[in-house]
Amino acid sequence: MKLDELESINSSQNTVKSNPTLSITSPQKTWSRFKYPQSLIRYVIYLIVFVFIVYSLEYLNVPLGRFFTMFGRLGDMIANRYYPPDISYTLQKDYLRYVLETLQMGYLGTLFGILFSIPISWFASFNVTPSRRFAYPVGRFIIMACRSVHEMIWTIIFVIVLGFGMFPGVIALTMFSIGFAGKLFSEEIEAIKLGQIEAIRSTGANPIQVFLYAVLPQVRVAWAGISIYTWDSAFRAATVLGYFGAGGMGWYLKETVERLETLKVSAILLTIISLVVVSEVGSAWARNKISKMK
Amino acid sequence: MSQSSVKENLDVILYRRRRAKEIRYCLYAILFLLVLWSIKVTIIKDTDWDRIGGLGSVIRGVGRFFPPDLSIVQYLFKPTVETFMIAFLGTMLAIILAIPVVWFGAHNITPSLPITYPIGRSIMTLSRSVHEVVWALIFVSAVGLGAFPGILAVSMRSIGFISKVTAESIEDVDARSLEAIKAVGGNKLQIIFYGIIPQVIPVFIGNAIFQWDINIRRATIMGLVGAGGLGLTLERQLLMYNHQGVTTVILAILVIITIGEVISYYARKAVI
Repeated sequence: MKLDELESINSSQNTVKSNPTLSITSPQKTWSRFKYPQSLIRYVIYLIVFVFIVYSLEYLNVPLGRFFTMFGRLGDMIANRYYPPDISYTLQKDYLRYVLETLQMGYLGTLFGILFSIPISWFASFNVTPSRRFAYPVGRFIIMACRSVHEMIWTIIFVIVLGFGMFPGVIALTMFSIGFAGKLFSEEIEAIKLGQIEAIRSTGANPIQVFLYAVLPQVRVAWAGISIYTWDSAFRAATVLGYFGAGGMGWYLKETVERLETLKVSAILLTIISLVVVSEVGSAWARNKISKMK
Repeated sequence: MSQSSVKENLDVILYRRRRAKEIRYCLYAILFLLVLWSIKVTIIKDTDWDRIGGLGSVIRGVGRFFPPDLSIVQYLFKPTVETFMIAFLGTMLAIILAIPVVWFGAHNITPSLPITYPIGRSIMTLSRSVHEVVWALIFVSAVGLGAFPGILAVSMRSIGFISKVTAESIEDVDARSLEAIKAVGGNKLQIIFYGIIPQVIPVFIGNAIFQWDINIRRATIMGLVGAGGLGLTLERQLLMYNHQGVTTVILAILVIITIGEVISYYARKAVI
């Protein structure tokens, strides 16, 4: 009872402060974080999301009953068919050579991608772009297109055009890295200080010199971190690029999956996972070190 | 006396600087050689240059993709909607599944540091490190063909990112408000509900929207390994060697991703 009184006094004081005319007519007004139209909009958004979930479950014919039996089946499948993994298969010389080639593919793809994305991100950042009317939309469009098409689709396209092998994989990873690094690079450029640019420009430097001496020194450290992150993601993609015809470990994955050699599949998956985890830990360590250099 | 010591110090500093420079140049040289070696192995030796031929045949190869085959546009509507829905449901499932992972994997609220913390962390790493194609392969063999394995694969892939970023933001949450709740006698659950969740919910939702944007991209290839969506149409066009149809499907992907990017931009602006 006492608490209630206290609260009512509190609320009436609040309303007095915020709206003196209202307090006379309705002293019992309670406090809420969201006022009337906002709270209604929130509930409408919740409702729309919920209705859309139900509608899409219906539309896609999702067998929800299978969700809970799935775990049993997944456990069964792993226990009976995928265990024990055929580790000796992954220790073959051929396979290890493919692992090495996967690493090289990821490395080269990232390198080319980063080299290309330096000028593209220069074009695509609004504050330093050489011409806002032509270069900016072109740069944006290239980054957008490279980013929207998934790296596996790039692989398929280049495999069709260039044939099987490492080369289409490298080019697909280059496209992936342009989209990935280009966007982060240009975001980094758009956050730099403009004073230095003006200073260099006032000495009569041309746009390339402005980029080299005013923009690049400011973003160098951040770009190094982004490059390592790009390499990490590109390597993750490289491990399965072979599934669609580019070389590397993915090729072995496809072969064994299609022959239903499940023990070998699980061994290959184990190598992929362990390699990616190693590369992720390494890249996190390197990025930490670089960000400390700042 | 002092001048000579200064000179000695200077010598030491200069010597160290020279050493650092030498080491750096050595590293650059090693990197350069590595690049050359990789180029030799992957591009020169492995590639069948006769098959590629000259520039002309490459251009002819690209030319097979043009102009886009507009006759299949009418069949694209349904898979496009499907892709959109796979991404949406996958993100929703990821949001739900990420909550316990966040709880386990955040250093300051995890129920028991030696047991649940490593579990949460390893789920995050595993989910992020396995590519979505591999997840899709696993789930297709577990639940059969259709949109359902696509949803599961997409959500498994995005749990890691959502929960990692959220757990990191929980770890550097403002400790004073937690202390205030503790001071009025709140227990551990109340601290989480009234102290932590209000602080991290914008980060969580913002990242979920960001992941939804990326998940549309991931959902477009789910069909290539047997989970529905636009990827299935793409696969069909590929199998029929209808390369112009492939271009049309890619254009549809571009459209749907642009729409998703615009929606996610405004939604994130509204949340944060």
